[in-house]
Amino acid sequence: MRGSRALPAFAVAAYGFLHLPVLVLIVFSFNESRFTVWTGLSWRWYRELARSTRMLEALGNSLLVAVASTLISTAIGTLCAYAMSRHRIRGARVLDAVLQLSIVTPEIVTGISLLAFFQFVFRFTDFGLGLDTIIIAHVAFSIAFVLLVVRVRLAALDPALEEAAMDLGAGPVTTFFRVTLPLLQPGIVAAALLAFILSFDDYVITSLVAGVGSETLPMVIYSMARRGVSPVVNALSAVLVVALGALILAADRLQRRSAA
Amino acid sequence: MGAFFLLPLLIVLAYSILSKGDYGGVALPVTGANYIRFLDPLYLRILGRTFWMAALTTALCLAIGYPLAYFIAFYGGRWKPALLFLVVMPFWTSFLVRTYAWIFLLRDTGLINTILIRLGWIRAPLPLLYNEGAVLVGLVYGFLPLTVLPLYASIERLDRTLLEAAADLGARPAVSLARVTVPLTMPGIYAGGVLVFISALGAYITPDLLGGGKSILIGNLVQNQFTTARDWPFGAAVSLLLMAVVVAALQLYRRREEAA
Amino acid sequence: MISRRQFLAASAAALTGCRRRRAGGEVSVYCWSDYIAADTVAAFERETSLRVNYETFESQEEMLAKILAGGGGWDVVFPGNTLVGPMVRRALIREIDHQRLSNLANLEARFLDPPWDRGDRHSVPYMWGLSGFVYNRKALGRAATGWADLWDRAVKGKITMLDDPAEVLGACLKKLGHSLNSIDERELQAARAEALRQKPLLRAYLNAEVKPQLIAGDVWAAQLWNGDAYQAIAENRDLAYCFPSEGFALYADSAVILTQSRNPDSAYRWIDYLLRPDVGASIARSTMFPTPNARALELLDPALRANPDLYPPPGRLTSAEWFTEISAEGQSLRDRIWTEIKAA
Repeated sequence: MRGSRALPAFAVAAYGFLHLPVLVLIVFSFNESRFTVWTGLSWRWYRELARSTRMLEALGNSLLVAVASTLISTAIGTLCAYAMSRHRIRGARVLDAVLQLSIVTPEIVTGISLLAFFQFVFRFTDFGLGLDTIIIAHVAFSIAFVLLVVRVRLAALDPALEEAAMDLGAGPVTTFFRVTLPLLQPGIVAAALLAFILSFDDYVITSLVAGVGSETLPMVIYSMARRGVSPVVNALSAVLVVALGALILAADRLQRRSAA
Repeated sequence: MGAFFLLPLLIVLAYSILSKGDYGGVALPVTGANYIRFLDPLYLRILGRTFWMAALTTALCLAIGYPLAYFIAFYGGRWKPALLFLVVMPFWTSFLVRTYAWIFLLRDTGLINTILIRLGWIRAPLPLLYNEGAVLVGLVYGFLPLTVLPLYASIERLDRTLLEAAADLGARPAVSLARVTVPLTMPGIYAGGVLVFISALGAYITPDLLGGGKSILIGNLVQNQFTTARDWPFGAAVSLLLMAVVVAALQLYRRREEAA
Repeated sequence: MISRRQFLAASAAALTGCRRRRAGGEVSVYCWSDYIAADTVAAFERETSLRVNYETFESQEEMLAKILAGGGGWDVVFPGNTLVGPMVRRALIREIDHQRLSNLANLEARFLDPPWDRGDRHSVPYMWGLSGFVYNRKALGRAATGWADLWDRAVKGKITMLDDPAEVLGACLKKLGHSLNSIDERELQAARAEALRQKPLLRAYLNAEVKPQLIAGDVWAAQLWNGDAYQAIAENRDLAYCFPSEGFALYADSAVILTQSRNPDSAYRWIDYLLRPDVGASIARSTMFPTPNARALELLDPALRANPDLYPPPGRLTSAEWFTEISAEGQSLRDRIWTEIKAA
């Protein structure tokens, strides 16, 4: 293969396959016409997007859900990872297996199992499907990811630092907050970004456990995508890709810095 | 953690052995009928087709991902991290937006048909959207990044002196690829393949949006049972079976990895 | 990198900023997509200072599934006439207090005592319609006459059917000369064969989502409700509507108040508002669906009122049949056949 031009050409084609569809979509979001014929540059669809109360409300819901579920799942996930690495927990292997299982479980299965769970709980309580259930569902599926990311960072941590703190008279709680947590910070931030992205982008689970007043952005995109193509959705897609892309880039930088 | 994941799953398990209530919900008596019902050729056919689509997706992802990973490992140079990032990034930018991008490209008045008609190559638009081909393209596009990382990791680890030795012994590039490179990178091929396969088994969005509701895979069957058909017990049974298939695929892979 | 405090401050702001609630109370409405006028909600909010939480669904099964799963937080939903009975029996909806609907008498007499809910005890008719199909005259090159036109090989790949078991089976049953509501196994198996014969010609199973594709010319013939069809026809004059000669379905959608409603007072105000002649007329104008409201009808443009596809004279409805409720066993059989059609 060496020396042949076929491989680089193939790689270029593969990158094209990976990126062109979305790039073309972004380009056409600036097209003046609503049809797939280029008629001129325009911000028209972005202005329409900014005026759409449905999309703005959905954006608000999405942000609320993503921020809340990120905060909760990052906190729980980090504590779990710490507990698992520092204490010998009985059944750690089982917990490990559960962790991996929850990551490979198809989204639709996670979604209906949470739906069934909520439905079961509703029999005894006055709750209903809504933003709260979406947040709980998102916490449920992102904890495993947080745990895994934080655990990688924990494994790389030098235990001598914690021991030194303890030797100097710091209690376990102080040591955790003053030594361990700051050292873990890059891993935690990377995990939080991951949780945020997972939550912000989720459709399958969200749509199953959504209720009153809880339409999220992916739900709007889905229902509009079923209707075919709308230039406003093109514009929304462009905004999302750029925003999420920036987040991912940031997460990548962070992770690399923490790995270095 | 366990509560978030295992409890809902236990409820699904309970639902799967109950009977269907009128207009949704579950009722007594306890029964195994929901599992037996799955043996009906109708549902086995859906399962078979899901397997077939997942296998095709896996094969195509490997066929595209392998040369791409090979290229990055051998020709990437100092651009390796950036090239890898470019592969992974689309995986994290909204899955929904990326599926929507294909509707934009494939529909009758979409970009591809518009260009082909302008070029005068075709007169009437080709039926590109709403068929199994479109679903396959969407699945490959969605899951390609999953194969590249493990493939890259195993190709990167390859002992290059072995390739040089093969070349010195007079093996043509194609022969050394088939006899040396591919066998030595089998772990990466398995890892990437399994990841794509289990993801494609649970696919739900892609068949729905790009298939136009004409072809249903197992994920859609689960969703249908919980919405249109209002047969929760059967939906629960199917989702547990799907989960079992995923776990089995993973277990097979693990067995192999341990043996190696 | 942002500091922790900044991050917390930003998230707190996001948390509080999103949940704006108005003091005057609210009403949550779950309705079919494209089923009100653009300013219906805004005008109601201005008049009453109630906030309307308005969300939409594409199929009533989706709506019922949400409610059964515990999403009963809506106040007003809009089931079709076949779903009213089951919802009453499952105690999902409240009895309507006619005293609280000053505009109820505006409805046409036949909608004040409909067969699916005698005396409108639990439901208030909102809109009605029929399911024939819309087609592109120019692309088809002729006038369509019946369901058989949707089995025409010449338009392969340009046809869509509704993504709804009752509608697709209904069309197939009618094509074969049976009742829409048949639960006879032999008739349903024949309908299944008809649907399977048609499937290779289909572009997709789509509900109201098909409209943009009809307008763009991607789809040439689509089984569709007449109001939705006329929304598309308004944008593309090549489109026309067909009352299939073999027979077709009639339905009505009604407003109901859920048992779990926390704002029943607001719910009554919303329904009474929809019953007002001017509001009903504005909705009928913009959705194109036939209104059951006699006084709203009077306010409509004579041209719209005279449209025989939307307000058909009785003579055009001789082959029409109302959808009726299906028994549980019949429904199981139909569900299975629908899965078979979809999985083929």
